[in-house]
Amino acid sequence: MRLLLVEDDTLIADSLNRQLTAAGFTVDQAQTARQAEQLGKQEDYRAVVLDLGLPDGNGLNVLKNWRADKLTMPVLILTARGDWQDKVNGLKAGADDYLAKPFQAEELLARLNALIRRSEGRVEAKLAAGGFELDEYRQCLQTPDGQEHSLTGTEFRLLRCLMSRPGQLFSKEQLLEQLYNLNDSPSDNTIEAYVRRLRKITGTDAITTRRGQGYIFNALD
Amino acid sequence: MPWIDPRRSIRKSLLTLLLPAAIALMVAAWIVHGLLLERMARGFVEDRLQDEVAFLEHQLRQSGPDEIRDIAAGDYFEEVFHHAFALRIGEQVHSSPELWTPALQPLLAEARSGFVRETRTGADAAIADFLAYRKALTLNGEPVVIVVAEDLTTLHHSQQELHIWTAVVSGILLVLLLLAIWQAIRLSLRSVAQLQQGLQSLQTGASQRLDVNAPAEFQPLIRQLNLLMDTLDQRLTRSRDALANLSHSVKTPVSAVRQVLEDDTRVLDPEMRQHLAQRLSDIDRQLESEMRRGRFAGPQAGKAAQPISQARDLLWMMGRLYTDKNFELESTLGPDTRWPIEEHDLNEILGNLLDNAGKWAARSSVLTLKDSGDQLMIMVEDDGPGVDPKELPSLGTRGVRLDEQTPGHGLGLAIAREITERYDGRLRFSNRAAGGLSVCATMPRKRHG
Repeated sequence: MRLLLVEDDTLIADSLNRQLTAAGFTVDQAQTARQAEQLGKQEDYRAVVLDLGLPDGNGLNVLKNWRADKLTMPVLILTARGDWQDKVNGLKAGADDYLAKPFQAEELLARLNALIRRSEGRVEAKLAAGGFELDEYRQCLQTPDGQEHSLTGTEFRLLRCLMSRPGQLFSKEQLLEQLYNLNDSPSDNTIEAYVRRLRKITGTDAITTRRGQGYIFNALD
Repeated sequence: MPWIDPRRSIRKSLLTLLLPAAIALMVAAWIVHGLLLERMARGFVEDRLQDEVAFLEHQLRQSGPDEIRDIAAGDYFEEVFHHAFALRIGEQVHSSPELWTPALQPLLAEARSGFVRETRTGADAAIADFLAYRKALTLNGEPVVIVVAEDLTTLHHSQQELHIWTAVVSGILLVLLLLAIWQAIRLSLRSVAQLQQGLQSLQTGASQRLDVNAPAEFQPLIRQLNLLMDTLDQRLTRSRDALANLSHSVKTPVSAVRQVLEDDTRVLDPEMRQHLAQRLSDIDRQLESEMRRGRFAGPQAGKAAQPISQARDLLWMMGRLYTDKNFELESTLGPDTRWPIEEHDLNEILGNLLDNAGKWAARSSVLTLKDSGDQLMIMVEDDGPGVDPKELPSLGTRGVRLDEQTPGHGLGLAIAREITERYDGRLRFSNRAAGGLSVCATMPRKRHG
């Protein structure tokens, strides 16, 4: 399995390279952002380990450029800063997991393997309707104005259900199946609350209410 | 007022507004005084002229034209009334005094009652400016016209003199007013100068806080400034303490590791390697916790976070990291709600509580955000195994790790607790009836100023 290791600290890079090779990976090593971006675009890697603090630029930009080029290999980012905003930014840029330095090689290997396993059966599926684009893997909705919104689990499942058949009526009972909650018995009101929250993102017109019957995703192409 | 630059000095603004205003108002008062004086004088003269015409008419009716002739013959009328008169009965014409005859006789030609104002020019005119009252009546079948006139020149003269005197008095009053304004501005801005002095002594280090008797308008500013300085002081003390702690706990292991590495007679057996790694891990843990604490901002004016958008981002991230678990948000707050918590601090509370829930939840975890007006509440519940009731009180106390297999359980909650307490809030733990742990952070909403 080919793997790209982007790390500018030679001590870490060499040691990781050795352990990754021992674990069965074929490792390409890059030390600068430019080199990394190029390699990532030229070669076909099974996974990438990306350090964010590179001498000639931020690793996040490399990652964004890869994702803009529709490269979908799983990426694990290494960061020395441990605050949550940093992690959120990393994942929003398209990372699949993060590891804060210092870390143990075993931890890195375990995470990498989990990522690869998760990405194996993965199909790049995107639901598109009426200018909206739902990224099923990343649980993000792109609205027609180009903005990307991250969704919580239930919001995502409800929207996926509605968007799978635009124009079709879904009853509240059908939608209730998409929920699971801490409370054992989610009621119709719960569905209404979620639809209200979704409408804040999609705009009021995209989801129509049929009184007493259910909801329709109404933004058609 | 858009034409006043808010950055201009208060003194300048007041002077540029008040001085011209005072001058303009004084001049206006003087002009109005002139107009009123003119009107009053004219009304007075008119009344007198009417009275005298009535007197002559009365004389005429009582004693006949002969009496009038007598009056006209001498300077009697002018001596008594200081006015001139002319009279026409049928074809007979009388007038007094002589000097006025050329001026008044043309007026007798017309038989219409009312006031006549005439200004004559030219050298022959003995009377240049006069006001006359003419009355036409019929006496014993004969038409009679009476005219009484007053020379206005002298009146104008005294009126002007009075007006000039008013100007002088107004000028003196204006100067006094300007002085009063200037003095008032100087006195009321003296406290600002005091403020400047206070700031100066603050800058030079002569004093630690701003203790000035400033006007009420500046009190909030001073309070805020002092609050800020106290915060800075506290932060300095804290970061010094932290650095001292850090230096103590880092230098020792560093020197130990170096000793071992520099000693080339020593063989690095696996046991020694593990020792070294352990020492380095200790350093890392110390660094991590001190740095995290160093990043806490604590309550500060002007810092606010958007709880909903931050929570959504974190929930989404947790959903991506723990792919088999469901993270939900329960809140009625609007997306633009702001909480007076520093952004990084709120992220740290939310992130650590959610991460903890993510580690322990079986399937799902719910974040609830509430704002009851004077209290902010953050609650994270999960459907995991919960915690032994005996252990609940010690949760979130630093160094307590209930399960070494799931690292971070202790540190994350300890951080959340520390930040919450920095905001005078509390972090409470309880087991849910349906199983799982519930962590609830409540913080009072403080209003500044």
